[in-house]
Amino acid sequence: MSLLRAHGLTAGYGPVTVLNGIDLEVNEGEIVVILGANGAGKTTTMRAVSGTIPRSGAVEFDGHDISRTSPDAIVRHGVAQVPQGRGTFPELSVEDNLRAGAITRRDGAGAVAADLQRWFEQFPRLAERRSQRAGSLSGGEQQMLAIARALMSRPKLLLCDEPSLGLAPLITKELFEVIERLNREEGLSVLLVEQNANLAMHMASRVYLLETGRIVASGSAAELSADDTIRKAYLGF
Amino acid sequence: MELFLQRLADGLSQGSVYALMALGLVIIYRGTGHLNFAQGEMALFCTYVVYQCGEWGIPIGLALPIGMIVGFALGAVTEVALIRPVAKKSPFAVFIVTLGLFQFLNWLDGAIWRDQPLPNSGVGSVQQQFPSLFPSKDTDFITIFGADIKLQSVGVFVLVLALTGVLFLLFNKTKLGLAMNAVASNAESAKLVGIRTNMVLMVSWGIATAIGALGGVVFAGINHNVNLTLMFTVFIYGSAAATLGGFDSPGGAVLGGLIIGVIENMAAGYADEWVGQQLKVGVAFVVIVVVLLVKPSGLFGTAKVERV
Repeated sequence: MSLLRAHGLTAGYGPVTVLNGIDLEVNEGEIVVILGANGAGKTTTMRAVSGTIPRSGAVEFDGHDISRTSPDAIVRHGVAQVPQGRGTFPELSVEDNLRAGAITRRDGAGAVAADLQRWFEQFPRLAERRSQRAGSLSGGEQQMLAIARALMSRPKLLLCDEPSLGLAPLITKELFEVIERLNREEGLSVLLVEQNANLAMHMASRVYLLETGRIVASGSAAELSADDTIRKAYLGF
Repeated sequence: MELFLQRLADGLSQGSVYALMALGLVIIYRGTGHLNFAQGEMALFCTYVVYQCGEWGIPIGLALPIGMIVGFALGAVTEVALIRPVAKKSPFAVFIVTLGLFQFLNWLDGAIWRDQPLPNSGVGSVQQQFPSLFPSKDTDFITIFGADIKLQSVGVFVLVLALTGVLFLLFNKTKLGLAMNAVASNAESAKLVGIRTNMVLMVSWGIATAIGALGGVVFAGINHNVNLTLMFTVFIYGSAAATLGGFDSPGGAVLGGLIIGVIENMAAGYADEWVGQQLKVGVAFVVIVVVLLVKPSGLFGTAKVERV
């Protein structure tokens, strides 16, 4: 069943159009990966879905039309975004960052505290630094915090914008394992943008290839890696 | 020693008013990065409303909350109707709009309340008698170490401490406070976790103006009158207090206000020859310049720290 469906999605910045009417779908329980070079429009796609930039075209989430919905209301529908560059609250403590992630929830302080505990167990390094300011964390820790913060809202769909950016390979691998586990064990749907194609392809249910604001290829990871030109251009082997 | 204690007490009660003004400035600045030049005049408008309630026979204890509610509404409406539309254009436009609002409100107060029968001779404007929140007759004082401390000074100081406590709880223990802190830290990300940033800004302006109203009423009470120039110097001292404490730190604003109140009274008292009553405002100016030169983020402001 389709959870997110975008049709003819167009977006940009001021007079510049970056995204030229793309069609995109994420089904429940899928990890969908968008691959593309710098400037292809990956981040713009994420922003257009989360409503943080002006966009046109149809966007449907979980049966609701969200093409004209404000970003905060989209979060309440169940979409959480981990923005590029992590976007943590640098002056707030690690714990307050996570609490802010749960701010839309209405299921009571007990449930929020339980989730807090859960992510602290999942990411012990965050637990050690729970009262430190987020701005003082390392890049990898901040990325974990950003993901944990997004998950605190109990989303149905997690948008991840280049989580591997600026991280050591080992940390990236660890992050991707966490995302995969959440997908497997909790049925969390994920839309993930990456330049690090190899790692991302490995866990993708489906892949879209984005080139200068258009989708030029899509299919399962196996199908795309079987295509010689794509493999050479994006996977480098 | 007695004189020192008396000046200290006077300074703390005077500083409490600056603290309230600084708190309002800081709460708005944290959310938007705007300095609200109309803060003092918005407070004055509410103070006149409280005065008017008094004219209608409503006791000050009831008139104060009415004034604060009017303040909340005034602040919220100002943010939604004036600040938000122009903030999209440029930050400079907000600066001009708050200056314009400063003038407009002062004119409005004059138009509404100037024609009342005047009890005192005023400087520059008509003064209306204003009741104090606390006992303020000449006999209302307590003696500590030989110094006569006015009950009013004690009351004002305790009031500000209590308000600081309430705000501490608001910022650290409530969802609204968390949302305000998040918007202050990173407004874009605040939207991404589902915070209604527009609502947070509206409420911030409301709270800031309600606190301003309290400050205006307290100050008018200390002076026993309200007039059109009442808040001019308070605004300047409040700005100095916020600069000293750090423009993004509510706790710093309170402490900054108290410090400046004490410095002002000590300077005017001990260096009467060359500071005196007329040059007191100069003290605020010196504090602003020195802080900006030595520690631009203020005593408790956060210098931006970020690892990548």
